Amino acid sequence: MNIDEIFDNTSFTIDREAHIVLDQNVCVGCDNRGCVNSCPARCYTWSEEEQKMTFVYDGCLECGTCYVVCHKNAFTRWRYPRGGFGVAYRMT
Amino acid sequence: MSKSYQAIVIGAGPAGSSAALTMARAGLDVALVERGAFPGEKNMFGGVLHRLPALEKVFPDFWERAPLERHIVKKGVTFMTGDSSFSTMIEAGNFDTPPYNGYTVFRPRFDRWLADEAVAAGATLITRATVDDLLLKDGRVAGVTVLGRSGKLSAPVVVAADGVLSFTAKKAGLRRPNFDPAQMAVGVKALIDMPREVIDDRFGLVRDQGFANEFVGCTEGVRGGGFLYTNYDSLSVGLVFHLASLRTSGKTPYDLLNAFLEQPQVAKLIRGGRLQEYSAHLIPEGGYDMIPELVGDGIVVAGDAAALCNATGLNLEGINLASHSGIVAAEAVIAAHQAGDFSRRGLGVYKKLLEESYVIKDLKLYRKAPHMLHNNRIYQEYPELMCSFMEYIYRIDGAPKENLSRLFLRTAREKVGLGNLLADGFSAWRAL
Repeated sequence: MNIDEIFDNTSFTIDREAHIVLDQNVCVGCDNRGCVNSCPARCYTWSEEEQKMTFVYDGCLECGTCYVVCHKNAFTRWRYPRGGFGVAYRMT
Repeated sequence: MSKSYQAIVIGAGPAGSSAALTMARAGLDVALVERGAFPGEKNMFGGVLHRLPALEKVFPDFWERAPLERHIVKKGVTFMTGDSSFSTMIEAGNFDTPPYNGYTVFRPRFDRWLADEAVAAGATLITRATVDDLLLKDGRVAGVTVLGRSGKLSAPVVVAADGVLSFTAKKAGLRRPNFDPAQMAVGVKALIDMPREVIDDRFGLVRDQGFANEFVGCTEGVRGGGFLYTNYDSLSVGLVFHLASLRTSGKTPYDLLNAFLEQPQVAKLIRGGRLQEYSAHLIPEGGYDMIPELVGDGIVVAGDAAALCNATGLNLEGINLASHSGIVAAEAVIAAHQAGDFSRRGLGVYKKLLEESYVIKDLKLYRKAPHMLHNNRIYQEYPELMCSFMEYIYRIDGAPKENLSRLFLRTAREKVGLGNLLADGFSAWRAL
């Protein structure tokens, strides 16, 4: 499983509008950033150099791991995608 | 879109569709609201579908009609290190005689079929509809608002079967606003295709027989475990991690999954297979102590939304508990319609029926299991102990033999410490 190739293995209908919105400023002061390693889709990347969190929702598997591991309430929005959008499993 | 129903069910998974089916058969006008383009689109599990006594009553020919994969005749547990493994396996004649104990299934197929059965019974299925909020009237739940297809649906009662994160239960004030990572696990899964004959030969299966195996020691010390299940012509292979342990481990689910798939004994089992799909899902693993308030004014909570999942370490049950809770929730709604009382008290029979059933009884019985499973030694030291003990036993190289109990104690002292061994044994005994 190469996580860089997630779009080859799992289907998505990506919405223009993000279903998860992160306040990256909160992440700068976080002592854990468990989202970075815990997210099964690698949606979170922390740059030590720039002291900056990057979040992309495109390959989000809608599992909720980040919602549970974030103890800083860094989300200004966390909901499931609008009906019909997001991950689409075929045979799992 | 604005319409009223006699009941609204949020989420067309096993809990929601079982609820909608039961209510529709009783003649209620029920809406089944699903955020996926079709039911099951968002669902995955790493598991086995077990007997569903409550659903079988509503639906006598369920097992003849459901889209199932193989029935499980062989169950194994493997204790594993980076290069060794020690397995135990049970293959029972009774597991190969109907009614079967459990089946592998594909959720996008199974969930869709079950929802279609609810529709055939008269339920209205509304797909591509993410419930955004609850409508309240005089402090009572009176319907939902929907994203995707903007609009409102109203009903005197809502069944929240919206899955593990249940924002509905949160909005109704029935669950705590924040989850405890110690009560949650994430599962990741690789679906690997493989010709049917190869699976039959490799796992020693004939006809529609299936094999299910759990693994311990395959998570590099992160609390969790692995699984491998056979479908007709694919394998479901994956790992489950406790979030409290994963988040501080610095390790990623996909790297751990790759290491698991490359472990020499696992690599042989999946050799030649091709990755078809990668998926992830949360599992409410807090057991009895995680269950939220099950009933509010105009609302009941069922399935994963109510944390009805039994993960004792040996058995992993969820769909059966979900379906049962959905049916019992439906019965409570039907009774509330007869009495015209949708208050917390009017729907209270749901909680009572659930407590009288195996669902709550089992969760109560294994109440201590989640805590017992928070012992890190289970996931590394014990699998190492078992593998090296067995290796010592079978190694014949001319060195004088050692008394078995002394050998075991020496290995145990080396790997876990004797004090820990006693304490862990006691804790496991009490929990199980």
